[in-house]
Amino acid sequence: MRPLAVAGVLAVAVGLLAALDRGVASAISPTSTVVTLIGVLGVVQGIRYANARRERRRVPADPGDPERRAPAAVPGAALDERIARAASPAPGGYRDRRDLRDRIREVSITAVARDRNCSREAAAAAVDDGTWTDDGAAAAFFDTRTAYPLRVRLSAGVRGRSNYWYGLRAVIDEIERIESRGDA
Amino acid sequence: MSDPRGAAVASDSDASDRNGESDPSADDATGRESDATGRESDADATESVDAAAAESAGAPTDRESRREIETDRWLGIAGAALALVGLGVLVRQSSLVLAGAVGVGYAVYARAGDAPTPTLAVTRSVSDETPAPGDEVRVTVRAENVGEGALPDLRLVDGVPPGLAVVDGPARVGTALRPGTAVTFEYIVRAARGDHEWEAMTAITRDAAGARERTTAFDAPTAIACTPELSAGGDLPLRGLTTVHHGRVPTDVGGAGVEFHATREYRRGDPLKRIDWNRRARTGELSTVELREERAATVVLLVDARESAYAAADPDAETAVEASVSAAGQAFSALLDGGDRVGIAALSPLDCWLPPGSGTVHAARGRETLATDPALAPTPSDERFYRSLWLRRFRRRIPADAQVLFFTPLVDDTAASLARRIDAHGHLVTVLSPDPTTTETAGQRLTTFERRQRLRALRSAGIRALEWGDDSFPVAVAAATRRWSR
Repeated sequence: MRPLAVAGVLAVAVGLLAALDRGVASAISPTSTVVTLIGVLGVVQGIRYANARRERRRVPADPGDPERRAPAAVPGAALDERIARAASPAPGGYRDRRDLRDRIREVSITAVARDRNCSREAAAAAVDDGTWTDDGAAAAFFDTRTAYPLRVRLSAGVRGRSNYWYGLRAVIDEIERIESRGDA
Repeated sequence: MSDPRGAAVASDSDASDRNGESDPSADDATGRESDATGRESDADATESVDAAAAESAGAPTDRESRREIETDRWLGIAGAALALVGLGVLVRQSSLVLAGAVGVGYAVYARAGDAPTPTLAVTRSVSDETPAPGDEVRVTVRAENVGEGALPDLRLVDGVPPGLAVVDGPARVGTALRPGTAVTFEYIVRAARGDHEWEAMTAITRDAAGARERTTAFDAPTAIACTPELSAGGDLPLRGLTTVHHGRVPTDVGGAGVEFHATREYRRGDPLKRIDWNRRARTGELSTVELREERAATVVLLVDARESAYAAADPDAETAVEASVSAAGQAFSALLDGGDRVGIAALSPLDCWLPPGSGTVHAARGRETLATDPALAPTPSDERFYRSLWLRRFRRRIPADAQVLFFTPLVDDTAASLARRIDAHGHLVTVLSPDPTTTETAGQRLTTFERRQRLRALRSAGIRALEWGDDSFPVAVAAATRRWSR
């Protein structure tokens, strides 16, 4: 930028001198080429400056929404964000997926143990080997040796979602079925 | 900033032609705002003029500069002007060069001024400083420009307490103020339980071109205290941990009472009405009937007011803390009426402890604690909660014969774990849980299952637990009482 700035200062100085002293002005020959060059320079620099507006992120004052009462937290909203992160088809997020799977596994084990009136160990074994449910996607969610059903993989491929997301939904549906059986 | 549509008026002899909305040139803003709010606004205008005359020499309110930025509204105008001039030179068109010169004028205009620092005398008044829950409270805010310079573009946004909702009119206004003039605007909030302090009012000023913006806060302390009446409801059956005083909780101790407990051999001095005459007739032996003694209990109402407890099925709904405090108020009243000694504590980063007691003075203290204690405020505290520290302090304070009614939404494991630990320390615990869960998304459904499993785990551990959602607390208590008495 420094050479450009020096050139700019020089140009302004010459311009001022030319305005004050006709001798200097007559020394600069206003040929068509010089005028065209000045015009091109003006257009290019002008577009550059105008473009700065596009790149600048405007942050106006935000006084918030004081008329609204402080919103309450909805239980599960933060978990939904975690699920969205973990179930994203983008690579990575292994740790998020594992943590979430562990948490859902605990809920599933508790539900199965109560439903079958068995020990937690037996329930954990059923959950881990997929025998706790008839839903293939729910079974595959915990059992890494079981592949997701073809329809799930196709659906995931077409809709751009991950198998993990379908598995998680299937597990939650299955827990709900078990819970409602227990309450009935 | 949204357009101000409240009852905003500028006041002094020629205020009506200077009072604009966000655009200072909108000279008829005052008229439109007044029209929008009807007769009340007209009255306000009159009051405002009078008040302006009376308080025109008001002292400036303490201010704090928050932010000063370029708005970038005119960013690029110099570039556009230069490009036009360059283009004009290129195509040898003097009209384009002239048009570029106009752009240069705008660029100079944008750089000419600075966002003024407002010097305001701000006063805020409320129609009722001690409203009942649900009452509408009219808030009137007056800001007078007591500085030397004019404020060509001024936006005022009031710091409504986070626990209150505005039900009528925006709590903001946009105007222009010359020195000595004032603007008044009004809005209505619906009162909710608790002490509510207004936060600083935010003033955003811009220069005439709107190129620079300055944010300033003005602190005008105002507060309302909303203390609900306690109504007895939910005659909660207590567990069998009692004091030696007479009360209403049946015990396993034989003596005076209503319910049959046992018979024993007659002792000299036993009242005649307690002699089992049927047995005497059958066997010829004298025996005395013993009844279950009914004693008073010492109860501590523990309200979960950690950040996680400020939860609701909908962001705009009442939080579980509100439901808990309301239920605790009903239980407090019912237990005191039944002759029990009742105290209040909060599971919160802030300390809250009302030792168990009885009597009318204690009832007033309890009402005050539930209504306005900072630990039970309508919005969560920013402080951090230390579980073991809290438990240590709670155990030190709670009387040995006290049982605990624990109001918690049970949205995390901490509450369930604390309930078990307090119960294990010999203070029988009853968990009363408002249900803030919903089942629309996967995360919400999972949270609902987890909460349900926590409730079951508590019941399996021998801790009484009841929950209420759409039902009222007394209805849930009545249902649980039937279940527990089977």
